[in-house]
Amino acid sequence: MLDWLKNINKEYPEFWKTYLSKFDKKSNRYVVLSTETTGLNPKKDVILSFGAVGVVNDNILIGDVFEVVIPQYKFLHDNGLSNDFLLESSQPKLSEIQAIEMFINFIGNATLVGHRIHFDIEMINEVLEKSSCGRLKNEALDIEIMYKKLHDINDKNFSLDELSHLFKIAKTERISTTDDAYTIALLFLKLKSRLGLK
Amino acid sequence: MSNAISERVANFLKEYEPFNYLSFDDLIKIANTIRVINLEKHKSLFQINDKLHDSFYVVASGVIHLTVISDAEETLLNKCYAGDIFGLRPFFAKNNYQMTAKAREESIVYAIPIATFKPFVAQNTEVLNFLLESFAANTKNNFDNQSHASLSDNVGYTDNQSDMLYFQSLTYNKTPLKISSTTPIKDAALLATENMIDSVLITDQGLPVGIVTDKDFRSKVATGRFPLSNAIDKIMASPVITVTENISVAEAQLVMLKHGVTHLCVTQDGTDKSEVKGIISEHDLVVAQANNPGVLLKEIKRSQTAKELKLVRDKLTDIIQSSLNKNIPLTHINSIAGEITLAIVKRAVEQSILDLGSPPARFAWLSIGSQGRKEQLLLTDQDSILVFEDVSAEKYRDVKDYFLKLAKKATATLEKVGFAFCPQGHMASNMLWCKSLTDWTKQYNSWMNTPGENSNEISSVFFDYEMAFGEQKIEDAITETIFKNAKNNVLFFDYLGNDAIKKPTPLNFFKKFNLEEEGENKGKFDIKTRALMPLVDGARMLTMSNGIKGINSTYLRYKQLAIVDPKFSEVYLNCADAYLVLSKFRAVEGLKNDSSGQYINLDELNKVDREKLKNALNPMRDLEELIKDRFQLTQFS
Repeated sequence: MLDWLKNINKEYPEFWKTYLSKFDKKSNRYVVLSTETTGLNPKKDVILSFGAVGVVNDNILIGDVFEVVIPQYKFLHDNGLSNDFLLESSQPKLSEIQAIEMFINFIGNATLVGHRIHFDIEMINEVLEKSSCGRLKNEALDIEIMYKKLHDINDKNFSLDELSHLFKIAKTERISTTDDAYTIALLFLKLKSRLGLK
Repeated sequence: MSNAISERVANFLKEYEPFNYLSFDDLIKIANTIRVINLEKHKSLFQINDKLHDSFYVVASGVIHLTVISDAEETLLNKCYAGDIFGLRPFFAKNNYQMTAKAREESIVYAIPIATFKPFVAQNTEVLNFLLESFAANTKNNFDNQSHASLSDNVGYTDNQSDMLYFQSLTYNKTPLKISSTTPIKDAALLATENMIDSVLITDQGLPVGIVTDKDFRSKVATGRFPLSNAIDKIMASPVITVTENISVAEAQLVMLKHGVTHLCVTQDGTDKSEVKGIISEHDLVVAQANNPGVLLKEIKRSQTAKELKLVRDKLTDIIQSSLNKNIPLTHINSIAGEITLAIVKRAVEQSILDLGSPPARFAWLSIGSQGRKEQLLLTDQDSILVFEDVSAEKYRDVKDYFLKLAKKATATLEKVGFAFCPQGHMASNMLWCKSLTDWTKQYNSWMNTPGENSNEISSVFFDYEMAFGEQKIEDAITETIFKNAKNNVLFFDYLGNDAIKKPTPLNFFKKFNLEEEGENKGKFDIKTRALMPLVDGARMLTMSNGIKGINSTYLRYKQLAIVDPKFSEVYLNCADAYLVLSKFRAVEGLKNDSSGQYINLDELNKVDREKLKNALNPMRDLEELIKDRFQLTQFS
């Protein structure tokens, strides 16, 4: 109940302060985000990889990509899972603490975009709490909600695959979070122009 | 730094010119600076007189149309498909864009910053050449144009070639052999032979002073009048006939005739006092006119691969497009396109036979459906059946095996040419539709004598066929079976008749168009099912019931019916005309969108055309009445 009082004088890590200071200005940048997690429970499960790409002025910037794999040795060991598949990945690998710091630096004050983005944010907030930071302050857009709004559908959910099929986006064989982020980014551009968002 | 997306983009780019000249690492570097842009349908990327962008573009998916405005009309310069580059102006010029780039359908394009790409252009002459060519000729990406690789700089075909057949500008050799006047004759001849070029230009400081062609070598050297060691200027023709760049085919032909020469030298300002830009030979003129049906047929016969056939089919599209623009009667276009399509199918079968070895029994490959009626203008799907002669029971399996293999190969070839597989599987490669004459006879018997009983519904496409390859006798036998069964076969015509008239009507009670109410073609008019199919079906069953053989096209069927059945000749003639009008609408729509043209967007038609379309639907009502009356449709309705 009075948790916030405990935190009131708490010293945040340096990168978090920089992050907070970025919100003085409004951003025209979007960051399209996709995460891979071990499950669906933010309290228990952990993030295995991040893939994110920047969108500015309706352009996807291919140079503006963030991708990282977190080999969650402890979690996987505790749960008796193999981490071979993570080690085989060609993406850069970092510990959770380093990864989240770089991720926060990468997103800055951009608007986050994703497919069922609130789950991603929830997961990230858990990690942030472990690193004694606050919660994400970015605005967020969900392409599934955008699609439902476009067609005024309330009683049906759409997976990423279904959405890319509806918009005729070719599938790739390689599935990494970065590939997903790119697909989401394309969907985002299409939905954005259809909804007439500025 | 590479990432999953830049790798994906680099992998895409490396398939296409000019990126295939670059290393993968370089492509990754380029990909990292790329911006991906999504264009909604009809959205333009840049317009005439827009300031130059800082990047050029590659189509990732979709279609971009490049257009210019001339005579207050928008003229299509080029369609850009996946892998094509456009918007190259910033590389070469400083003034604003001279054309409009607009998405014809929802498209994704990659924007490559000029600044990152320029170093690669400077280092790599192949890339530079490609960009220059693409910019100058506004050509399509010549990726699958085989002629490109063969001869020096001769760019393949410009898009609007057949469009302006004569008044197009020529493509010619832009890097002629240039030598000085002191070169010995022998060296010049060797050089020309090495480069497989039939002419040598003699230049002095870049200006043309003379020309030597094969004819000069023959008449002046081989006859012994001049020794091989003489300088080339002894035998050269001088002065050279010069022309300007952008000369049209017609002009070039006139100049050649006037001066009685076979080669023209292209210079910057058209006089021999300016720099040499290239050389036009008679052969270039022939090539420029190569898009006529006769030449295409020859090319089909000579072709060895699916790729070559595809080139021919692409040219046929150009011919159809230009013929439609010139208002050449559709019946002519249909018959030309029909012959060429049939020849392509035939060649596809031949190619497969060459691959598999000669067939173990005689057979006939029949094109069915629209191909069988010779009414296929657009690249719609392929339908075919294969009938082979009866063989002894123990050989049957092997024989059928061979023909199935053959059909698989041939249909795959046709698919590469651009004829999509039939979604209902009406193809010879389907084991149901590849069988012996006896089996086929049984099949037709059961279709016609007990229609509607068997679970496999009769599809009317099987009653329009045209032999593409094989034994004429087999086709005759099938025709015989059908007409024998058709005689006084009330049940069969009842079935067909109901099938024909139960198609959804084109106009509603208020004489408004019935548009598609849902799906991706919402708001468009389905001209195929609502208008063309009933006419086609009607023509087929009426000809069959009248015992008219050997006429396959819908138009001719109605014409023939008008003669055979004079009482209703007016209805038939109206239907014949209506059919032409409707199929023209479809062809135009299909060419515009590279689709099958099944759905017409009425909003894009002007008022006159809409009325024309509506009027063409009127005869259908009469036809429906006639069919109902004639066949007393009761059993199935």
